[in-house]
Amino acid sequence: MATVQFKGIVKKFGDNLVLNGVDVDIKDHEFVVIVGPSGCGKTTLLRMLAGLEEITDGEILIDNLLVNELHPSKREIAMVFQDYALYPHMTVEENMNFALRLRKMDKAEIASRVAEASNVLQLNKFLKRMPKQLSGGQRQRVAIGRAIVRKPKVFLFDEPLSNLDAKLREEMRVEIAKLYQRLNATIIYVTHDQVEAMTLAGRIVIMNHGIVQQVGSPIEVYRKPCNLFVAGFIGSPTMNFMTGKLALEGEALFFKNEDIKLSIPPYLLSDAKKHDGREVVLGVRPDDVLVERDGEKCSDKVQGVLEVCELLGHRENLYLKVGGMRVLATVEAFFNRSPGSAVTLCFNYKNMHVFDKATESRISE
Amino acid sequence: MDILKSIYEVVWFILLVAAGVAALEGYFYTHFKFYARAWFFPAVLGVFPALALAVFGGLLGGYTFKLWLYFLLAEAAIAAFFRYAVKGRHTVPYLLLAPAFVGLALLLVYPFVFEVYLSFHDLKLTTIMMWKNTGTLPFVGIDQYVKVFTTSPLSEVTFWALLGRTLLWTFSNVFFHVAGGFILALMLNNQIRFKGFYRTLLVIPWAMPQVVAVLAMRGEFHSTNGFVNILIGKLLAVFPFLAALGVAPVQWLTDYPLLTCTLINIWLGIPFMMVVILGGLQSISSSYYDAADIDGASYFQKLRFITMPLVRPVMMPAVTLGTVWTFNNINVIYLVTGQAGGTEQADILVSALYKAAFTYNRYSYSAAFAIVVFAMLFFFSVFYLKSFDAAKDER
Ligand SMILES: Nc1ncnc2c1ncn2[C@@H]1O[C@H](COP(=O)(O)OP(=O)(O)OP(=O)(O)O)[C@@H](O)[C@H]1O
Ligand SMILES: [Mg+2]
Repeated sequence: MATVQFKGIVKKFGDNLVLNGVDVDIKDHEFVVIVGPSGCGKTTLLRMLAGLEEITDGEILIDNLLVNELHPSKREIAMVFQDYALYPHMTVEENMNFALRLRKMDKAEIASRVAEASNVLQLNKFLKRMPKQLSGGQRQRVAIGRAIVRKPKVFLFDEPLSNLDAKLREEMRVEIAKLYQRLNATIIYVTHDQVEAMTLAGRIVIMNHGIVQQVGSPIEVYRKPCNLFVAGFIGSPTMNFMTGKLALEGEALFFKNEDIKLSIPPYLLSDAKKHDGREVVLGVRPDDVLVERDGEKCSDKVQGVLEVCELLGHRENLYLKVGGMRVLATVEAFFNRSPGSAVTLCFNYKNMHVFDKATESRISE
Repeated sequence: MDILKSIYEVVWFILLVAAGVAALEGYFYTHFKFYARAWFFPAVLGVFPALALAVFGGLLGGYTFKLWLYFLLAEAAIAAFFRYAVKGRHTVPYLLLAPAFVGLALLLVYPFVFEVYLSFHDLKLTTIMMWKNTGTLPFVGIDQYVKVFTTSPLSEVTFWALLGRTLLWTFSNVFFHVAGGFILALMLNNQIRFKGFYRTLLVIPWAMPQVVAVLAMRGEFHSTNGFVNILIGKLLAVFPFLAALGVAPVQWLTDYPLLTCTLINIWLGIPFMMVVILGGLQSISSSYYDAADIDGASYFQKLRFITMPLVRPVMMPAVTLGTVWTFNNINVIYLVTGQAGGTEQADILVSALYKAAFTYNRYSYSAAFAIVVFAMLFFFSVFYLKSFDAAKDER
């Protein structure tokens, strides 16, 4: 239960600039998920908040208290490490109550907190075991248990589910969501996983090269990615991108490249004249590529060739070729066409994104 | 051309060893490869005993029929073993192990067996000629073992006094080795400049030949010219009040020989522990310390709850080894106090044993003595490793 503020956070390892001015405000009792490609500085940011890494420049505030120089234990945070970092020579119970024992807390209080946490996480059976004798998922629950017995203000999770298999990951994701509702605490959660980010987050922070690219609710960053990086990073399968030029013909604006020509309606880009001749990238999610279908607010029909079909179960991925361009469409199963056949497709304007090619930032509404 | 001659001798010796190994491998290879052939028994029984007689006969009491018979029996046993038990399995591993195994047998097993033999007989200055001439020794049963516990191996100290002294010596040495090694390792495990340089400096006492190191240190404990007393003298000159506390130059070698030996041996033994513990420290993942930081552990709490338990697995074998080495450490004590007219005040079991054997020529008594010492160390090690294993299984 606390607010967290990053103000102009800079981190350098020697000459290597890892974080370059991170500004994020996290509200009380918020679930914030940080995503970004490997090496973009997510772990570093968490470790700086935890106090395990020096802050090169900038300020971190927890509950409006400047914590730059505060010892990790005084920050009232708990961290679940990517490799769990369970003490290998202590039982599950000792692992969980280590922090409380160090604080010389009352024995009865310790016992009740451990009991409570192990009930929530269903660890009762394992309390006397060593970490080595647990499965990955159990260890992960112990790591979470170790965090919650301390009743911290802020929880930090560093890719906690990345070592688990898909099924367990799904289960634990639900557990963490439940835990969040129960704990009523502020959670900062780092992940690589799209689904985790979209399902757990109240807000998503997308980072790249040590810079925050966009902060917003999952739906915001999905629907209105603010630049090419976010558009390409969020959503799976990845968005289709088409490079080309905008051209004014009469009053109407058109997107043109060697392969296609699409009219750009005014509600996508108002003030058509301003954009004449601009180099842009058009983005359409595979879901919004309509194949052999008519949609409302759909673009002009385009001719393409079906190259490969991938059946996913209830959906099907179609790899299409439009002129020299590759376009991926995701449609309802079953799309009964053999590879090589000609298809017509169109793009759903409602969810089309236009980015400036030079600045890579969004220019459509 | 002395140098050429030396080189020639070395090369000749190497070739001899190589030929020995080759002969051994050939011998085993035959047994592995042809164990199933019909001519296996006649061939090996015909060839190898005769060869062995030809090669070793001169050494082992003449080219007699009796010796050949021994060889024949041995060969029959070996051949039967290969035919019915080994059956040509695991050829390569055994062929690779054979030279080392035979070497160890010659260097360890034979002397050990001979020592046990000696300990039940009576070999001393008065019987040695008899042994030389007849090859037999008077059998005395466990007499020698009784004497170990009832008479002094030296001129005055008893076995029990020596044992107590040895335990004190071992304990104090190992304690300070571990403590000193731990502190130095902790310091070296930090991010400090010139770390490699310090580490090299600290390892020097260990890397130096022990004889050189010990003799040099003995010189430093000399009563007038040694660095230790000179330092004490300078300190007294600067801080006169120290004299009131009883600090004064000391006749280290004559008045406190055991203490001197202990100081020297501590100095010698710390680097080994330091290197081992440093290795252990470096293998502890830093994420445990991160977790402990967040959990609110202070420096000493981290040391106690994280570092100590986690270096224990690497430290325990080193402590076991160190205990055995210290218990058996004759170098330091003999080099510091062992010269003619040297004191007995610093002797521990093994150095007394050495003196009993080679100064007082009581060979059989020393053999029994050695076996008693061996038994103590053996049970200690087994117990230690067992308890260590038990501790490991808990994890
Ligand atoms: N102790 C360090 N010394 C030097 N460079 C470091 C250190 N720790 C991290 N870095 C560098 O900082 C950058 C960011 O690392 P960080 O661990 O924060 O990435 P991440 O976003 O967590 O990546 P991942 O998703 O792979 O865990 C990387 O380029 C890394 O090489
Ligand atoms: Mg990371």
